Amino acid sequence: MGESIREAIEWTGGLVRLLLIALGQGVRRPYGIYDIFYQIVAQGVRSLPLTFVMSLFIGMVLTYQFGEALMWFGAKNAVGSAASLALVREIVPVILALTVGAKIATGMTAELGSMKVSEQIDAIASLGADPVKKLVWPRIVAATVALPFLSVLGNIIAMASGGVIADMVFDVPFAYFYETYVTQLTPFDYISGLLKSLVFGVLVGLIGCYQGFETKFGTEAVGISTTKTVVAISIVILFTDFVMTMMFLPV
Amino acid sequence: MPETIIELRGVHKAFAEHVVYRDMNLQVYTGETLTVIGGSGQGKSVCLKLMTGLLRAEQGEVLFDGEDVGEMGQRQLVALRRRMSMVFQGGALFDSMNVLENVGYALKEHTKMSDAEILARALECLELVGLGSDPNLIYRMPASLSGGMRKRVAIARSIAIKPEVILYDEPTTGLDPMNCNVIAHMILKLQRELGVTSIVVTHEMPLAFEVSDRIAMLHDKHFPFQGTPDELHRMSEPAVKDFIEGRVEEGDEGHGA
Ligand SMILES: Nc1ncnc2c1ncn2[C@@H]1O[C@H](COP(=O)(O)OP(=O)(O)OP(=O)(O)O)[C@@H](O)[C@H]1O
Ligand SMILES: [Mg+2]
Repeated sequence: MGESIREAIEWTGGLVRLLLIALGQGVRRPYGIYDIFYQIVAQGVRSLPLTFVMSLFIGMVLTYQFGEALMWFGAKNAVGSAASLALVREIVPVILALTVGAKIATGMTAELGSMKVSEQIDAIASLGADPVKKLVWPRIVAATVALPFLSVLGNIIAMASGGVIADMVFDVPFAYFYETYVTQLTPFDYISGLLKSLVFGVLVGLIGCYQGFETKFGTEAVGISTTKTVVAISIVILFTDFVMTMMFLPV
Repeated sequence: MPETIIELRGVHKAFAEHVVYRDMNLQVYTGETLTVIGGSGQGKSVCLKLMTGLLRAEQGEVLFDGEDVGEMGQRQLVALRRRMSMVFQGGALFDSMNVLENVGYALKEHTKMSDAEILARALECLELVGLGSDPNLIYRMPASLSGGMRKRVAIARSIAIKPEVILYDEPTTGLDPMNCNVIAHMILKLQRELGVTSIVVTHEMPLAFEVSDRIAMLHDKHFPFQGTPDELHRMSEPAVKDFIEGRVEEGDEGHGA
């Protein structure tokens, strides 16, 4: 027990250190605009199908559950208001971070891990470049940009799919669902949802890269650190979400 | 006494409990070709990585031109690596880049050369490692090359920047005899024409005897046997004789031993 706590603290320390180094390197010229752009396309655009499917089903399932529960109280017309708060503030950012984010992070770990194992990261350093600047910085920036963007898209899809369920299953017209959905939301709800996605994006990029750099020897090691990435992302995202929710929603 | 460019003094290096070097000393003279031999897993690659600052010694000093590599910050390391480049044992070519981008990498990082100049320099380097005949090679990805070709592209990448010191980690392992010769000649040519200092790690004794001014043999966590190829030949220590005659001692590869 003491051992794993110590490990967790060391791991977090390593993560923070990498973030600080990346920020310190990143703000210097050249900013690596091309690499950042490339990574945004590689991570963001290739995550569109998964984002689409996840959001589609989240919107439908959640609306179904709320509709069912509200029908009991004879308040099924409120389904749009109920679904909107949960989806925008919580479910869409978190579920997308846990699925799309985990996909992005494991991709980074696998790529950087095999570069580490085949000494390509050492080679970058020995050819006079900085591996953190070259590899970590563009990936963190890209994930930080991509996840909020995907989250906005996911919100639109989830709302639309929720509206279809409301209309078809619960006889709440789509237009009415939309109207209650949107009026329920304050600007702060949008902002807090986006802020969550932004923080999750940083974490996804950071953990993905850190695990890649920490990979030890052999191709086997790449598999091990990739698995660890999934576990780390799940725990860290949910923990951060809890902390941020408490900050945003003071009782 | 010739000038010293690299000097390792009282170096101690261990990974966790596994000691690789204990009170190790080694000098490299400016302009010479020094070959490092020794059993597998004994720390030859580690030695090169200490020199180029990829690994740091726990004790002792690694001096390049009088400055301690272990104490260098990021910016000094970049300056160091402008003058000293390394050929990795496994090649370590960048998978995501084609041959041209690989060979031109250091030129892009360190110099303001134009794309045309980089192309010309890349072709020149590929020619030097015996890969000059195929004009389409530069557009191929590393994954599509044979092991021997990858190795030679890696050498081309390391010499492109015209470093003063080149660290070769087993440059000819896996090459056919003809290409071994090409590499041996290239090492000699760079030394003669540009005064490059080379440190060559190899298992291949013919290469060692052909290119070396001096040979250092790694044994028991330091370099007890150093000398010219002739001197090494005349040594009567069984460890040296066994190694040179091909009875390769297998180092203590067991971890924590
Ligand atoms: N980064 C590292 N972390 C932990 N142990 C390492 C590391 N690098 C090397 N070692 C260990 O140090 C020892 C020396 O390794 P090194 O790669 O230098 O051997 P070598 O002499 O180059 O062998 P070979 O001829 O097989 O290439 C080995 O036991 C290896 O397991
Ligand atoms: Mg080696």
